[in-house]
Amino acid sequence: MPMTNSTPRDLFPGALEMMILESLRRQPAHGYALVQHIQQRSNNLLQVEEGSLYPALQRLLKARLVKAEWGISLTNRRVRTYQITAAGLQHLEKEISSFERMFEGIALVLNPAKTPVQ
Amino acid sequence: MSWFLRIFQRNNLYSELAEEMRLHLEERTEQLMREGMSPKEAGQAARRAFGNRTLIEEHSREVWQWPTLESIWADIRYALRQLRKSPGFTFTVILSLTLGLGANTTIFTFMNAFLFRPPSVRDSGHLVEVMERNPKASGLEAYMPLSYPGYALLRDHNQTLSGFAAFDGDPRTVSWSHDGQGQMVFGQLVSSNFFSVLEVEPALGRFFQPDEERGGHGAPTVVISHSFWQREFAGDRAAIGHALVLNGSSYTIIGVAPSSFTGILIGSQPDFWTTLAMTPTLIHDPDRLGSDTSFWLFGVGRLKPGVRKNEAQADLTVLARSAHSSDPKAAVMDASLFPVQLVPAPFRGYVVAFTGLLMAAVGLVLLIACANAANLVLARAITRRRELAVRSALGAGRFRIVRQALTESLLLSMMGGVGGLAIAWWSIPLLLSLKPASIPVSFEVPLDWRVFSFALAAAFFTGILFGVVPALRATRRDLLPALKDERQLAGPRRSRLRSSIVVAQITVCLVLLISAGLCVQSLLNARSIDPGFSTRDIAVAQLDPGSLGYTETQDREFYRQLLERVRALPGVSSASLSDDLPLSTSRTVHGINIDGIAPPAGLDSIHVQIAYVAPDYFRTMGIPVLDGHEFSPQDIHPGSTAVIINQAMAQHYWPGRNPIGQRFKDEKQVEEIVGVVKTGKYRSLSEDPLDFMYLPLGAQSQEYLVVHTAAEQSALDEIRRVILSLDPNVVPVEMESIAQYMALPLFAAHTTGVLLAVFGAIALLLATIGLSGVVSYSVSQRTNEIGVRMALGADRLDVLKLILRQGMRLTAIGILCGLALSFAATRVLADLLYGIKPADPLTFAVVSLFLAAVAFVSCYFPAHRAASIDPMQSLRAE
Repeated sequence: MPMTNSTPRDLFPGALEMMILESLRRQPAHGYALVQHIQQRSNNLLQVEEGSLYPALQRLLKARLVKAEWGISLTNRRVRTYQITAAGLQHLEKEISSFERMFEGIALVLNPAKTPVQ
Repeated sequence: MSWFLRIFQRNNLYSELAEEMRLHLEERTEQLMREGMSPKEAGQAARRAFGNRTLIEEHSREVWQWPTLESIWADIRYALRQLRKSPGFTFTVILSLTLGLGANTTIFTFMNAFLFRPPSVRDSGHLVEVMERNPKASGLEAYMPLSYPGYALLRDHNQTLSGFAAFDGDPRTVSWSHDGQGQMVFGQLVSSNFFSVLEVEPALGRFFQPDEERGGHGAPTVVISHSFWQREFAGDRAAIGHALVLNGSSYTIIGVAPSSFTGILIGSQPDFWTTLAMTPTLIHDPDRLGSDTSFWLFGVGRLKPGVRKNEAQADLTVLARSAHSSDPKAAVMDASLFPVQLVPAPFRGYVVAFTGLLMAAVGLVLLIACANAANLVLARAITRRRELAVRSALGAGRFRIVRQALTESLLLSMMGGVGGLAIAWWSIPLLLSLKPASIPVSFEVPLDWRVFSFALAAAFFTGILFGVVPALRATRRDLLPALKDERQLAGPRRSRLRSSIVVAQITVCLVLLISAGLCVQSLLNARSIDPGFSTRDIAVAQLDPGSLGYTETQDREFYRQLLERVRALPGVSSASLSDDLPLSTSRTVHGINIDGIAPPAGLDSIHVQIAYVAPDYFRTMGIPVLDGHEFSPQDIHPGSTAVIINQAMAQHYWPGRNPIGQRFKDEKQVEEIVGVVKTGKYRSLSEDPLDFMYLPLGAQSQEYLVVHTAAEQSALDEIRRVILSLDPNVVPVEMESIAQYMALPLFAAHTTGVLLAVFGAIALLLATIGLSGVVSYSVSQRTNEIGVRMALGADRLDVLKLILRQGMRLTAIGILCGLALSFAATRVLADLLYGIKPADPLTFAVVSLFLAAVAFVSCYFPAHRAASIDPMQSLRAE
């Protein structure tokens, strides 16, 4: 199913999931809080939209990388809080390291001047 | 099984998701309100930021689904709902498709029964059928069954077959005497290793010992078929060891064949099998087994493991050639191997041509049905444009809508496919009953898995064929006008597509009708061919008292008394005997030599077909004697030299001379011509005049009794009574009127004619539905325009003409295309047509006019409806 109206939102496949997992590693959160958190952490550079967030959360749930639980938030609201699992942590580590390598590669290609040639 | 639990937990998952998203929106709204928005503004802003909630929910759900399986199921349910909403549309489409697919499934079932179904024996892939082939001849004439010595040679000396069996290709009608009377049953002579080579296991008892028939002296034993066992012995196990008196001799039942096994030749379903050693006793032909010039056995061998067919062919050919090398006059024969099939390989071509023609006809019917369905779906797509527009506006992708539309057409075509299977199931017994009862064959025409697969595949492709164009069309459009409910959406493009579909329909329909018209006329022509004898007021009975062990004297006495009593019956004007009737399936040929006339190249005599007849034969059969006289009772004696020839033979060999009194040398003696009779048809109704001669009937056991009588049917009963009074054990092999007898030579033409007429009628019906559908639809679209025209002064006749002109224009284009295509298509039929040219102008003209007239009527009703539009009403509706 082509997600025609969501193309500009995702940076690349897996990026959103990675950020969600990273946020959840710091602390469990519900959907709304995740949106706020990612937005703040990225200095408003990244705007996560609900249209991508919820399907992504469902994918993570299905892959058992996170688990969800109904509870009461600090602001006393009924919320469904997501928590990273052990498998999620492992997956995140792997993703981050592969992402870093990719990022390094991209940086080298885009900025040959800064290459540590010496 | 987590996926299993998930299916049941899914609704739970979904409601949690919905709840979660609702709470999310709520939190956002509150946040915005805290930032100073009014509750209403905040709610709107939150929803705007959130996006299409339904779509998000759907995407989130999809994560959990097998996307294809589940959404297909959803599509099916949606399609069913939609179809239920328009029962008229659904009914018409399914009816069209059922007719089209039904015709196809029926013909395919026959094709399958004859051509695709393998014989029901184990590992039939390693079985080969062995025939002899004359390398100098071509076509069907080149192939010959085997003689018994030929078979025995191949069986005993081949290196490549693990077993080699043979069976008699002709079903034998045998008289079974029990409880003081005779009953007609079918038997097949087989080699004693027949069952073991085919690897068939008995259902009860045992089969023949492999070498039971060697040397021609076997025990009189029979294996009975499963159905015979059930029918006559009620499945009693005590049947084993029971004796059957068949054609006057006693045979012991040693086994019962399994119910799945009915032989390996189409059309013959023997009640019993006995060994070839029984040939002299069963069919009273003492010389047949030893003769190397009687070719009557089909060979079937099982390849040794690892041996390929062509290796076996080479092996057997060497043997077959060596068999004839001692006789320089005999033709050199090769062995020819084929995969074992129910129709022997040399005859398959005819079956393919016959069923292929019918398949082409039903293919055209299916095309017309598809066109109907496509047209209806297109029309409906227009009325559903708002629904589709709403779906697109709600975010359904184009692919999704196309898939939904295809699901609907596939659903329709599958229902049509099921209907088609039902039609096949219903019509096959009906079609089998077209077979004259006098043909001694019975066909098994099962609806097996091949038929089901065919029906499924045909339905699938049909669904795609008529569904894909409307589906693509339906999605190619701007949403806005549809949402605004604009009337004029049916632009010229769309109606042009629908119109061209109707034109194509009329084209195909005309091709089919013209072909059917030609075939039906050909059939009528064939019926009116003069066969050279009278086709009414004659009763025919085929008898075989010799099968009861009559001696020659007893035979003669039996027939003398029979003729005497039959002639005395009321209404009978004459009665006679013959060993063969014209147009029967058998033929006997004599080689003759005439002084001063050289035999054809390669032969040492002239071959002429013959029949033995008794006095009064020509009078009884209504064959005019042109010169000389019929055989008189004085001509009937051993050593009689009297012969009667037909006119063709007289003109052929004694042109311009009086043939009476001419002499020529027959096989054993010199004959003298005593009469000349009118030339008739002997082998087939469409043959060119053949030479033919009649010899005086001596003592023959198997004979036809022919009786000229005013009342055939009551005479048949009388004759039966006379026969039973002479000997209650004599079973007439056949008792029928000459009209019933003629059903056999006309069978193929008759069946083709009936089927093509039925298919033509279906095609016409479908095309009519298509045309009137298009015209009706255009009337409903043009209600406004017609209202305006009438308001501006057009009267009803003008409107009627307007609509009719539209329909008839399409018809005219269709007919022109159809005529052009028919000229090309009917050429294929040339070989099948009798007494009519493929491009018969009268047929072309009459069928075109007929189609035009039917089209006119089908346009008239919608046109009439258009003319009765009330202009005020239609304008007010705007």
